[in-house]
This record gives sequence, C-alpha cells and structure tokens, in this order.
Amino acid sequence: MVSLKTLEDYLRSKDNSKNFINCSEVPPICKSEPCMLGVDEAGRGPVLGPMVYGVAFCPLSQKAVLQSLGCADSKALTEDKRDEIFTKMLTESEPVQNVGWTAEIISPNYISNSMYRRAKHSLNEVSMNSAISLIKKVIEEGVNLAEIYVDTVGPPEKYQAKLLEIFPNIKITVAKKADSIYPIVSAASIVAKVTRDHALKVWSFKEGLDMDHTGFGSGYPGDPLTKKFIRDQVDNVFGYPLLVRFSWSTAELMLQEKAATCTFEDVEEVSPNKKAAGTKSISTFFSPKEDKRLRKRHKFFEERYLNVINAFE
Amino acid sequence: MSIQIENNLKNGDNPEIFEQRAHYLPCKIEVDGAANVEKYFEPYVVENENGELSATFRGHPLDGVNMSLPDGYRAILVTEAKKPLADDADRRFQVAGGFKEFVYWNWDKKPSKNDNIVKAFDWIDIAEAIHGD
Repeated sequence: MVSLKTLEDYLRSKDNSKNFINCSEVPPICKSEPCMLGVDEAGRGPVLGPMVYGVAFCPLSQKAVLQSLGCADSKALTEDKRDEIFTKMLTESEPVQNVGWTAEIISPNYISNSMYRRAKHSLNEVSMNSAISLIKKVIEEGVNLAEIYVDTVGPPEKYQAKLLEIFPNIKITVAKKADSIYPIVSAASIVAKVTRDHALKVWSFKEGLDMDHTGFGSGYPGDPLTKKFIRDQVDNVFGYPLLVRFSWSTAELMLQEKAATCTFEDVEEVSPNKKAAGTKSISTFFSPKEDKRLRKRHKFFEERYLNVINAFE
Repeated sequence: MSIQIENNLKNGDNPEIFEQRAHYLPCKIEVDGAANVEKYFEPYVVENENGELSATFRGHPLDGVNMSLPDGYRAILVTEAKKPLADDADRRFQVAGGFKEFVYWNWDKKPSKNDNIVKAFDWIDIAEAIHGD
C-alpha cells in the first residue's frame, strides 16, 4: 500500500458485506525492540457503513516518530490532515521503518447480523472481539509487544481486566479519550478513521443503487443526507441495502413506518400493555362461553403446524 | 362458490417459467406482490465449502438449504385479475408460473430434519397411505 489510491483500490476489491483486514508490513525493528500498541475505532455510532478497528504499533524508543507525524488528538484533526498523516505512514521512510498498523473493516451487514442473532451479540462484544483479534494477529506476526493502550467509550475497568486475562505479560492501559492522551492511540485512530472514510467513498451497492457517498453522507444520523437516504431508500420487502445497519433504531423505526411489517418466528416482544400468555381479562368470565364443540385436530397436525385453510380468502 | 384455475402457459414454450427460483423465509412478511429478490437478496446468498447456504434478510442472519418438492408435486403461482366483491362468487385464477425446488431458510439455525416444513411433508406419505388406492 503506497497511497490513498491503493487503499481505495484495495477496499473496492473486497466484498463489502463481509469483514476483512488491511495491514502494513511489520517493520523489522518492531520484532526486536519492545513496542507499544494503540487501539481505537471509527464509525461506531453511524447508521451507515462499516465500523473500523485500527491498531498501530512502534518501538517504545521511537515515540518521537509519532510526534513528528503529527499524531495528536485525532478528533481535532481535519479529514485532509488525517489523510496526509496516513499517506506519510505509507510512504515516508521514518514512519515506514518504525510504525506498523492493521485495520479490521467490520461490515454493516456483520453488525446487523450480530445484533439480530438468536443470542444477541452487542456492539460492545463485536468491538472487543475485533480489538482482541487484532492484537493477537500482531503478536503472531512476531511483534514484541510490551505496552497496549486502548481507547474505550464504555467503562474501562472491565475491559482492562479482560485484556489482562488474555495478555497477562503486557502492560495494559484502557482509558476514555485515550486518543488525545497517547500518540500511539491517536495513530491507531487515524488508521481507523481514514479507512472508514475511504470505505464509504468507494462503497458500491450490490443492490444496483446508482449513488455514492455524496448521496448518503457521513452515515451519522444527524447528517441531513443520511437522514434523507434513510427516509427515501426504503424497499417495501427488503428494507434497505446492506450499507445500512438494520439494528440501529433510526433504521428500525423508519422501517416500522414505511416498509411491510415483518415478524420473525421466535421474536416475542413483551410490551407492557400485553398480558402474559394465558392470562384472561376479567370480563371474559362473564361473556357467553365459546362454542367448544369444534373438532380438535390430532396432535400429528398440531406438531407439524398443518391446518386446513382456504388460501383464496 | 367454485374456483377455476386456468393455465394459458404452454409447458413446452417456456419451461423456465415453471422452474423459477423461490425462497422460503422464516418470517411473516405482510405484503403480497412483487419483490426485488434479485437485487436485494440473491447477491448475498453465499454457499460455503460444505454446501451450506447463508444469506441475510432485514439484518437477520439466515441459514439455508436447497429443497425439492416431494415427488409428484409441483408448486404454481396464480394471479387473479379482479377479486369479486361477493364472498360466494366464483373465482377465476390464471397460472403465472411455478417452481419445483426452493431454498428453505432458517433464522440463525442450521436447517435440519426437525424443521417444521420437513415434518409437514410427512403428511404427504401419510395421506398417500390413508387416501391412496
């Protein structure tokens, strides 16, 4: 990978309904010298597009490289500035020889599918699993990891305990807003954010929709373009193209309003005004008894959900 | 009331019209009519190395398997130009197509012989034993 163009070509070549990984070569110095690694994510909140997890690593002794790259609070950096820093990470000799990185692109379809499994996976679980697998991958590639810094939106204590259990010999720091405190997390954040931005730029719809990111926007529910997309691109039967995270309430509510009602077999939503199964209202005890002479069907049919019906009604 | 089903489609002319692809989804969709299956659903149907199918519908993960209709059976799709207003009026349907096999989908569960549709097909053998000659 030598430029943003090659990043885009790579992202375009991948199946955007699945997860995939993009990574740099491991700089040889990272295998010999003790390294620090930062973890951050981009695109957690948006209703559109992938979430990207990024890690960046470099020798403890080479922290100055990060500073000269300009890896500071990534939220304060403009998109152009982030693109510029990432390009330097791909091309300039100092960063290439010292800083390695890996990104996992977690598809919106994977996110929807995880949250709509029979046993639901929360976004937190998806996130943590991605972070852990990226760290494991870096270790497997021979990087000599001494310190890990993780940015988190949730409570840091539980996350830290979990990571310590998996990586007992590494110093682990989990903190909120870590990307503004630790330059290595800020580098990871830039990798993640640049990857997510470009993944949206090259998004192509398998559904055949002729539209690009200038049509659907950033994916944040507050973006007017995204709002319009969520409102206008409803398919009555299928709901949305797989750019959309179906499990987001913005999308769920719009489909409830605008698409055909869809009920999955096992989903039983317990609403507060619904009575528990088998509970009769008091008035039924005073109403005339139902005619009980209906012929009861044999268990064979009941078990197989077989009924005599008139399909033409 | 009587129900008439007319078939103006000649088998020989256009055999594929009776061999269309069909998907049996594990949910109730409250709509009757055309659906963009080819654009929204089929691009995401994936077969793994063990021949197991996966897909996604409204964000839900699906596991599928190819199924044939029981021997001697076929499925047809009929349309009705205009539904009569009176409940007891005669009804007239036109055959619009059909299928002989379909893909059965479960929601996040591998298809197995315990699925209702497999069990329901038991009736075909039993019916034959009871009512057959």
